[in-house]
Amino acid sequence: MLDVAATGPLIDVRSISKLFQTGEETVHALRDITFGISQGEFVSLLGPSGCGKTTLMMIMVGLTSANTGEARIGGRRIDEPFTDVGIVFQTPELLDWRTAQENVLLQIEIRRLPVRNYIERARALLAQVGLEGFENKLPFELSGGMKQRVALCRALIHDPEILLMDEPFGALDALTRDQMNLDLQRIWLEKRKTAVFVTHSIDEAVFLSDRIIVMTPRPGAIAEIIKVDLPRPRTLDQKDAPEFSAFTKHIRKRFMDLGVLKDG
Amino acid sequence: MLSLLCCLGVWEATVRYFDVPVYLIPAPSLIATKLMTAYPLFLQESLHSVISIIIGFTLAVAVGIPAATLMIYSEWFRRGIYPILLTAQVLPKVALAPLFIVWFGFGLLPKVLMTFLISFFPIVIDTLTGLNSVRPESLMLIRSMGGSRWQSFWKIRLPTALPSIFGGFKVAITFAVVGTIVAEFVGSDHGLGYILVLARGNLDTVTVFAAILWLIAIGFLFYFAVEVAERIFIRGRAARRSHELGAGL
Ligand SMILES: Nc1ncnc2c1ncn2[C@@H]1O[C@H](COP(=O)(O)OP(=O)(O)O)[C@@H](O)[C@H]1O
Ligand SMILES: [Mg+2]
Repeated sequence: MLDVAATGPLIDVRSISKLFQTGEETVHALRDITFGISQGEFVSLLGPSGCGKTTLMMIMVGLTSANTGEARIGGRRIDEPFTDVGIVFQTPELLDWRTAQENVLLQIEIRRLPVRNYIERARALLAQVGLEGFENKLPFELSGGMKQRVALCRALIHDPEILLMDEPFGALDALTRDQMNLDLQRIWLEKRKTAVFVTHSIDEAVFLSDRIIVMTPRPGAIAEIIKVDLPRPRTLDQKDAPEFSAFTKHIRKRFMDLGVLKDG
Repeated sequence: MLSLLCCLGVWEATVRYFDVPVYLIPAPSLIATKLMTAYPLFLQESLHSVISIIIGFTLAVAVGIPAATLMIYSEWFRRGIYPILLTAQVLPKVALAPLFIVWFGFGLLPKVLMTFLISFFPIVIDTLTGLNSVRPESLMLIRSMGGSRWQSFWKIRLPTALPSIFGGFKVAITFAVVGTIVAEFVGSDHGLGYILVLARGNLDTVTVFAAILWLIAIGFLFYFAVEVAERIFIRGRAARRSHELGAGL
């Protein structure tokens, strides 16, 4: 891994604020957000629904503009979409007339890379997430979890510098979600690409992350940044260990204090 | 099919039993005979109608889809064109037919124009709806891949819009048949509409019925052609499956 101290953070977010103007109303989505993400780090943005996590993620890669502040990647100021990235949204966003494999290869087609050279890799990636034999299935033949796996493969096929995931498993059932978390950790450990993961699940954030950026309700600001120094690879059993629950308890308390969670 | 035959049987019997005059409602057998004997004439005149329908509809597609596309990408164009489009649609186009004759005579042109005008609107509106039904996340994804507007149109927007576009085609093709026939009605020297007017003038009700049957057949044929094209262009849509899972709900 690169010497982070020498190169500085790969993603550098400085005093970002964002306002949305809808008709007469102004929504203050983000307030003065500053943080850095090192190369190879897995960072989660954890906060209540509507606190601006998606907006922040989009600003980081230039898909949305900020009102104040700036985002930098590798030292370069982001003014237009940053493309050395793979994105997974909460919804799979698969094209329903393309097979699983063709959906993965869309990434390659749009980038005008030679599709032929990537077919093997697409199949290997699909196999890696347990979709061997489903390459030629159309999306309507796949379950929700399978579709999201295809979306993950599409985000990885071009081997991007940064992987962005916006509540990718939010719509899945608890069991599938656990499995996806395990698979994601395994895949991430292979290359340790910089990953930013949006979630509102405390459990999931602790399980996956090196660091968790806890956000306040809207206008979203940083409540706390937590370093999760649990050894990897982490197992589901570890979730019951006291070291693990120390983190979840701490974050839950934080959300209580912020008024996001209330005792009955 | 069987129900249709039954209807025909009842019709034949009723007409014969009550001795209904032929100029009011002719017996099916008479119409059938007419269809056989006058077959070449009908075929020839249908060809005139069919050509007008095809050209008019094709024009409507060729202008409608680009127009809808421009409306998506250019606010300026959309604002400019929309009032015109709407006016053209609410105005009863049949009322324009006599004017077309004054301007363009009795040939193919006024028929094509009427057909175009009448089938244009559903194509534009449904294409617009389809092109707009793209999810913003899909477009963000394309942007994150460094994709161009051209790519997002051909790879995402247009294919996403296809089911809706074909919905528009289906409405438009039936309108197109009406457009051509109306134009022939009002003033033309060829086509099934012209035959209809002529036969009616002669109180030749048998021919009127026969011509109507031809029209129905042509309508079906065109509609079927659009459905076949739809099936070729659209693959993997979940419509059939959702019907299955919905168990008819
Ligand atoms: N394009 C937009 N126009 C207006 N308001 C928006 C827009 N996008 C997001 N918002 C608002 O900004 C706030 C933050 O949204 P978002 O970033 O999606 O939150 P999160 O992902 O944390 O749920 C929400 O209140 C949302 O309603
Ligand atoms: Mg969100």
